[in-house]
Order: sequence, then C-alpha cells, then structure tokens
Amino acid sequence: MVMSICGIIFSPLIALLSGILMLGLTRKFMARIHWRYGPPLLQPVIDIIKLFYQKAPSHGKLFDFGVILSLTGSIVVLLFLPVGKLAPLSSSGGLLVITYLTLIAPLGLALSGGEAANPNASIGISRKLVLSFGYEVSLLLGILAVMTRYETISIVKVVKIQQESGWALFSWPLLVSGIAYLLILPAILGIRPFDVVSAPQEISSGPHVEYGGKYLGISTISHALTEFIAIGLFVNLFLGGWGLWGVISGIGAGWLVVLLSVLAFLAKIFLLYIVCLLVSAVLPRLRLDQAVGFLWKWPAVLAFAGLILAWVV
Amino acid sequence: MLETILVVAFGGAIASYFLGKFSAKSRNYFSAIVWITLIGLTSYAYFITPTTRVFYPGFIGFDLTLRLNLLSWLFAITIAVIAALSVIFSFDYIKGRERTDFYYSMILLVNASMLGIVLSGDLLVFYVFWEIMSWSAFLLISYSRGRALAAGLRYVVMSIIGSGAMLIGITSLYGNYGTLALAELPTNLAPASPLYLLFIFILFFVGFGIKNAILPFHTWLPPAHSEAPAPFSAVLSGMLIKMGTYGIILLFYVISGIKLFLGLSHGVWSFHYVLCGLAAVTIVAPTFVAVLQDDAKKLLAWSTIGQAGYIILGISFGTSLSLAGGVFHFFNHAIFKTLLFLAIGAVEYRTSTRDLNSLGGLIKKMPVAFLATLVGIAGLIGVPLTNGFFSKWLIYKSLILDNQPFLAFAALIGTWGAILYSYKLLHNVFLGQLPKKYEEVKKAPFSMRFPLVILSIGVIIFGIFPGLPLNPINKITTFLGFQPLNLSLWGTVSDTGTVNTLNIFLALVVAAGIIWYIFRSGAESPEISQEDSYAAGAPTPEGKYNYTVDFYDPLERMLKPYLKDLIESFYSWVVEIVKQTSNRVRKTYTGYVGTYVMYIVALIAALILVQLGWKIW
Repeated sequence: MVMSICGIIFSPLIALLSGILMLGLTRKFMARIHWRYGPPLLQPVIDIIKLFYQKAPSHGKLFDFGVILSLTGSIVVLLFLPVGKLAPLSSSGGLLVITYLTLIAPLGLALSGGEAANPNASIGISRKLVLSFGYEVSLLLGILAVMTRYETISIVKVVKIQQESGWALFSWPLLVSGIAYLLILPAILGIRPFDVVSAPQEISSGPHVEYGGKYLGISTISHALTEFIAIGLFVNLFLGGWGLWGVISGIGAGWLVVLLSVLAFLAKIFLLYIVCLLVSAVLPRLRLDQAVGFLWKWPAVLAFAGLILAWVV
Repeated sequence: MLETILVVAFGGAIASYFLGKFSAKSRNYFSAIVWITLIGLTSYAYFITPTTRVFYPGFIGFDLTLRLNLLSWLFAITIAVIAALSVIFSFDYIKGRERTDFYYSMILLVNASMLGIVLSGDLLVFYVFWEIMSWSAFLLISYSRGRALAAGLRYVVMSIIGSGAMLIGITSLYGNYGTLALAELPTNLAPASPLYLLFIFILFFVGFGIKNAILPFHTWLPPAHSEAPAPFSAVLSGMLIKMGTYGIILLFYVISGIKLFLGLSHGVWSFHYVLCGLAAVTIVAPTFVAVLQDDAKKLLAWSTIGQAGYIILGISFGTSLSLAGGVFHFFNHAIFKTLLFLAIGAVEYRTSTRDLNSLGGLIKKMPVAFLATLVGIAGLIGVPLTNGFFSKWLIYKSLILDNQPFLAFAALIGTWGAILYSYKLLHNVFLGQLPKKYEEVKKAPFSMRFPLVILSIGVIIFGIFPGLPLNPINKITTFLGFQPLNLSLWGTVSDTGTVNTLNIFLALVVAAGIIWYIFRSGAESPEISQEDSYAAGAPTPEGKYNYTVDFYDPLERMLKPYLKDLIESFYSWVVEIVKQTSNRVRKTYTGYVGTYVMYIVALIAALILVQLGWKIW
C-alpha cells in the first residue's frame, strides 16, 4: 500500500525530471556535435518556468482541454508503466492497456491543434497520424511477439521473466523483433530523420504552432514524457526493465533495492536515448512518404519475421 | 408477454401510418411512445424466466413459437432503445419531406420485425420476420430515390440471394429432421455428418453474412448506408446488420452447439479458423478503404464493415473470452455507431452536405454534435473509459493467450487504422477553419440533441462500468456452454491479465485535476479569434486556408494503387455476364408466329426422338 502510494507520487515525478533532462541533453549534445557550446543542461526547466508567467492566446475550450488531456494521458501511462520496481497501477491493466493509454496524449494534442484552425497544425497532425500508422505496424508486431513468447499480457511479468531468462533483445528469437523495434525508435521519438511532424523549418513546429506561454510549457512537458514513455516501454520489453544481470535482485528487498532499480532503469533509458541522438544528429529529414516507405519495409519485414519466429519456436 | 411486445410493435407500425393522415405531430409522438413503451416492456421481460411459447398451433402443420432467453433479450432491448432514439431523431430530420407517414410506418415496421426475429422460437417464424425486415429496409434505403434507389436495389438483390440460401437450408433441415423449433434442432443435429453440417453452415452463413456484410458479401453496405436517411442509417448500421450477428450466434451456438461448431474440421482446416481468417480480412481491408473516403457517411459505412469484423472474429473464435468480447462489441458498436450516424445526420440536416472536403470548423456552431462525434470516435477507437475499449480488450486477450498473434495483429491494426479515419471525420467536419457559408449554421434542434446526449452517456457509462452489460453477457456465454468469466463491475480479474477501469478513471480524473490547477495558476490566457494569431494581426487571407482536402495525401498516394475492390469488380463481371446471357435468350423471342411454330415443331420432334430412342413413356 505504502509502496503503491509512493509509486503514484514518484513515478510521474521521476519521469518528469528525466524527460526534461532528456530535452536539455538533446540540445547540449547536438550543440557539441555542431562544435557549439550549447545552452546549460537545465535550460528547458528555466524555459518552462518562464513560459508559465507569459500571457498567451487561447482559441477556445477544446484548445485548453486538449493540452490538459495530452499531459494527463502521459501521466496516467506512467502509473501503469514500470519505472524500475515502481509500477503502482500495474495490477489494473497490462501491456494492452498501456498500448491503448498511449493514444490519449497524441489525441489531446490533435484535438487542441485542430481547434487552433492553423493549417500548419492540421498538416502536422495529419503527418503525425500517418507516421504513427507507419511505425505502429512494427511496434504492435514487436509487442505481440513479446506477449506470445512469454505467454502473458502483463508487463510486470515480462520484466520478471527477463530477470530469469535474460534480456529479450539478446535472446533468440526475440532478437529479431528487438532490432525491428530499435529501427523504429527514432520515428516513435519523432527525432531526425523522422521529425516530419514538428519540422520547424517547414510547418513551424506543426501541432505546436499556435502554442505560447503555459500552453507551450505544458505541451513541452507532455512531449518530454512521451519520449520517456517510448524508450521506457522498449527498456521494459527488450532490455530487462530494471534488471542488471541479477546484481540488484541479489541484494534482496527493501527501499534501497527500489531506489537502485529506478536508477538502473534510468541509466538504460539515458544510454539508449544518447544512441538515438547520435543517429539523429547525422541524418537529414526524410519526406513523409519516404519515412513511411522505410517503416513499412525493413522494420515491418523484420518485425513480421520476429513474430513468426516467436510463434513457431 | 412476448405476444404483447410484438402486437404493440407491429400495431404501432400500422397505426402510425393512419394516424399520420390526421395529424403529423400526433403521429410523431405516437411513434416515439410506442417504442418507449417497448423499452419498458422489454426491460420488464428481463425478469421473466426464459420461456418458449406456442402462439399459433398447427399452422400448415407447424407450431409457430416464440421464445425469450437472455440472448434474445439483450438484442431486443438494444433494438428498442435504438429504435426509440432514431424515431425521436426523425422528428425534425424528416419533417417537410414527402411521404412521411410511409417513412414512419416503415421505420417502425423494420424495428418491429427485428424484435420478431430475436423473439422467434423456430426457423419458420424467424424467416418470415427476416423477410419483412429485408423488404422494409429496402423501402427505407431507397426512400430518397435517385442514387438511393440504385443503392436499395443493390441491397435487395444481395438480400434475396441471402434469403434464398437460408430458405434452402431451412427446407433441408425440415426435410431431414421434421422440425424447425430452435429447442429441438440441437438434439436432432447432433449426429449429423460433418459434410451435411458444413452444407447447412455455409447456406445459413451466406444468409447471415450478407446481412452482416462480411467480406466478400459487403458490397451492398457502403452505398446503402450512405444513401439512406440518417436516422435509418443509424438503425441500419447499429442494429439491422446485427441481425446477421444474431443469426450467426444462433446458428453456431444454439442450433448446432459449440461442440459441433468447434469440432468441424478436416486436417489442418478447421471451419471456425477459416471464419476467423475471413473476419480478420473483414477488419483490415475496409479500414484502409475508409481512410480514403470523402463522404462522411460512406466513411462510417466502411468503418461499420470493419467493426462487424471484430464481432464475427470474437464470435467465431469460440472461447468464453472472445465470445463475450464479440457479443459485448456488438452491443457497444450499436451504441457508438448509432451515435456517429446521428451526429453526422444532424450536421447534414443543418448544412445539407456531408462532404468531408467542404465542411469544417463547426465546433463552435454545433457543440453537442461535436461532443457526440468525439465520444463516438473515442468509443470506436476504443480509448480507455469508453465502451469499445473493454470489448476489444477481451478479444485481443483471448487471441493472444490462445496463441493466435496474427489474428490479434489484424485486430490491433484495424484499431490503429480506425484512428486515422475517425480523426479525419472529426477534424474535417468540426475542427479547422469555418467556411464563410456555414457562419449562420444553428445548433441542432432538441429532438436531435436528445438522442446524441443519451447515447454519449451510454458510451461513457459502459466504458467506466463495463460490468453492467457484461454480467448478462456472461450469463449468455455460460448458457451457450462456456466457462463463466470472473467479472466485477469495472473489469475482470484473472491470473492472465486484469483490467480495472475504475482505477484508470480515477487516475485520469485526479491527474487531470492537478494539471488543470497548475494550468489555471499560470498567466492568464485571453481567448482570441482564430484568424488573429494566424495572420499575426494583418488582414486574414480571403477564402479557405484550411487543410482538409486529401487529409492523408501521402498515405492515399501510397495506398490507392493497391486498393482495388476485386470483389466489387467480380460482382460487376457477374452482372455483365447475366445481362449478356439474358440478352441472348431474349433474342429467341422474335415476334414472328412462324418462329414459334418452328420451336414447337422442333420440341415435338425432339420428344418423339427421345421416345423412339429410349422408350421412357
């Protein structure tokens, strides 16, 4: 009981801090690759606080509601997604529920952006929906492969099984699905070469174009959380969640273990994120049809093969 | 009790026609009151123990029977509610059009015959009501004439083929077993040979599959749904096609029983897996077609085909989870698809168009219709806390745990495609810029808003408390011979995966409350018009700067080459062949007496030749 209350409070907070830190890291990292000095690591925090004090135009009730809904959706997902050993509501729904809950955040943004009546926002949303249709094929196949292989729809069990039998990414036959998932990860994160949705130079940040002040602040936080969730899901499904080759679970139980498990989980997330940043730093943006064409080719074929293998082997 | 229900329903249909001759208003209220009474009567029927009653003994050697059990009750109550709401919606929608008396009596008749179908106790009664339904539906589909007549004809041709197949099946059953009573058929059919069973299954499945618009029998549905008057489109999509679903449940789980149905296989080919495959194709293919539609009702019609695929997938997969999911999805689909058709009907009523390329920005003009559409598409997608979520979840879970990931993938990808077309529907009608010609649009009249509100509440209530409808459904599946599920009011509990919708709801409300508080405490945000910030204070550009036409352009360009409707062209080819053959046959009628005399002489000569050669007579 105490554990789950702590989970409900800390899970979103940890994700919030790490997500915003990830945004800061992106800017610093890109700057260094470009041989610039770059802003301080905590610049996004400063920005968000500033944004809440700025006056900003609203375009109606749905415009406000959508922004709130989008952040709410992300936070609710975090109550179901295991962050280390913290997974306060995991007994109320498994992997399928998480997959469905991740719909709420983009839906909120789409509603809010839709009411703004700015064509750039509509184009951005249309691109987002098409792009996500592109990567969801492989994503769903990958998730199904894991569920079929481990014969469960509970994400906590998936993590637990990986503690015993090794990380899914390094085990046959889930390796194939894991590679497919890795290939679509930049598209899920919306970073180059798949940043068609925001595409600042083309459509002025797409769905975010009409946001200023607190709207921009909240949508930035929501964006940070979606990045965290996207990678967190991969870590839980394919990188053994908080498992570190039995080191943490060897200590036993207690608060220290929970803390260590969260740290291990975060370490994996940041490492994976940096790998994605390295890819994104050197590639130019694809057109939408090129992006979807790519997503429906290699990752989808691999993911399909992965599911067949997980089904047969 | 059963007779009372049917007498009220059919009597109402006839009475409304004659009442309309005196006063249109009293006819409207009378029609609504008939169906509200029927809601009351059917709700009361829940407390009656399941019965079979002979209401007309010895009709040409048959006892005509009615029967009521929980399965027929669930369908009956859904029919009654949707009929009542669509009749109320018709008040303003149909006002001022011609032949309104005819319209009212027909819409009452079609619903009454559906009640008859689900309450019938033998296949003869079933068939009679089935035909009444098919024909009255044809008259309603072609109510607007013009293109609607073509759509209606296409529907009725396919419908006749279906009824014909069913009639052969019924005759065969009667010829073999001498009974048509639903209560007696299972024991008779139990020792039947697999080949005969397959024969019966296929005949009935053609009949029910055409109504349910399973691929490859779907081609009648998109034109019929889009051309029918909106309140009837809602009944058509919400309930009428579900008569096919009812028939399929009846066929597989009542007439033959689960052992015969699941046991029908030859080598690796199992009958119910073939059906599951068909259902999977029915889910995926129409979803892609729906994305390309520009007509709001046609988009919804294609979506109906896809959603019906889920229902059939759940039913034909044949586990207690999947059957509960399938039946529950029928119930949910009836609610949210009726809601969507009515909402689009309200928009059509006010703007007299349903073209997704020319509408837009109606959110501030028609807020209730907007909210209804939003709730409806959320249910359609199955966003958690709307009713579609839990039924789909049951189907997915069943497919995954029974090691059918590819069927599960088809079901999941159907949902993700649904996001695309349903957002297109919402965006192109209600969001974006408001075209100048719609600036004077008023909100929908009360008779239209009322059904929308009721159905929206239904979507959300059954989303948060899926246990409400699932409890009777659970009893139905147990009655049909399955293991009962472990249910609570807000989800299921089991070792293999649990859902607690109430916790999801609470989490969402609390999180939204906190964020709203933080949002409120930020700097103020004055509401400004949409044009202000877009043009940065400069005069706004004239005309439309809205992004709606070809909403998914890149995707459409990728998909279009692959989405030829092969089935449609196959049927057209058949029609062409039939036309040519008939033409050739027609040419034998030359109109000259001499030719006919020659035919007669030739026939007599042939008969003589036959007699000489084989000595038959």
